Amino acid sequence: MTTSTPTILQWQAEVVDQLLAADVSVAAFVPDSRLNGVLTALSGRGVPLRSLTREEECVAYAAGARIAGKRAVVMLQSSGIGNALNALGTLAVPYRLGIPMIVSMRGTLGETNPSQIPIGRATSPMLGSLGIQSFSLRSADDAASMTEAVLNMAYQAGETSAVLLEPELGGQRERR
Amino acid sequence: MRSSSSPNWEDNVNVVEAVQAIVHTYPEATIVSSLGTATSAARHVTGDGPHFYFGAAMGSALAGALGLAEAAPHRQVVAVLGDGDFLMGANSLWSLSACRPTNLLVVVLADGAYSITGGQTISCPLRLAEVGAALEGLSGATADTAEALRAELTSLPQPGLIEARISESVWPGPSPFVDPAEVVRSVRASLATR
Repeated sequence: MTTSTPTILQWQAEVVDQLLAADVSVAAFVPDSRLNGVLTALSGRGVPLRSLTREEECVAYAAGARIAGKRAVVMLQSSGIGNALNALGTLAVPYRLGIPMIVSMRGTLGETNPSQIPIGRATSPMLGSLGIQSFSLRSADDAASMTEAVLNMAYQAGETSAVLLEPELGGQRERR
Repeated sequence: MRSSSSPNWEDNVNVVEAVQAIVHTYPEATIVSSLGTATSAARHVTGDGPHFYFGAAMGSALAGALGLAEAAPHRQVVAVLGDGDFLMGANSLWSLSACRPTNLLVVVLADGAYSITGGQTISCPLRLAEVGAALEGLSGATADTAEALRAELTSLPQPGLIEARISESVWPGPSPFVDPAEVVRSVRASLATR
């Protein structure tokens, strides 16, 4: 079996540029195809990656880093938001630890797996019900400004918040 | 795999004595405590010291301790977990095995019950000594007495897991429900000054 290095798309490169500009110290993630380019570029530029076993674990890991003053980011697929809700609602939000999340969306435009539809449809409402604002990124033109804005909300205002990577961006998810 | 035990029944240990052993051994450590008895005991023993008390997020304290330990590599971190909480996030042991911070000890207060919800029984033994021995990069031990716990705290290679077997049931006293803002403020101040 061989693995290939993913091509870094423009929007992925711009997300990475903003993460580096914000001095992100570590990325905790659960794997997803659309995130591959971001993770590869981050690692290539010296940001430690932590591939953890479950999404709520990523949130708690990031909480530990944030309480120590470091700038962690969490990356996950939208299906994992369901797994992460307890840690988000009882740790990240009430402790105001300001954890930015980059969420690769499933269950929305063009989804062919019926099992992904309910949580994809509910991702933004579920986050919103916990007071977590999320912002849909559909165009590479908005990647830099939206990522920067969410990182500012997290690291400066202490608001856990999310960029939602929508299918219109492309990025290795289309045929899976 | 190690096991330290005593046949003397007068050596019964409760959660307060177990946390006292931790604090006596590592007075400068930052404790990450899970909801319930662990947080109550840590607050009681340290006089509400600057520690990362989890007020909920069951099953997430070990991951929080891992993130803190990696972010503060010069600080000793001790995760003090109830056995119920530990089992809800036991997958984090594999992450601990992958990351291997050398400043993190995990002490599970194993009383065999979900104390915070009324003492319902935990039906399976933890066997952390065997688990620690089985996972790469980890070490594990079991301690049946406070003296044995102190010995393991000082000698077990890190990252290490200690199953502190609790044989006397007590409620430490302080509420396990904490003010999140105060927890964050005090931990950050502590990490900045020491």
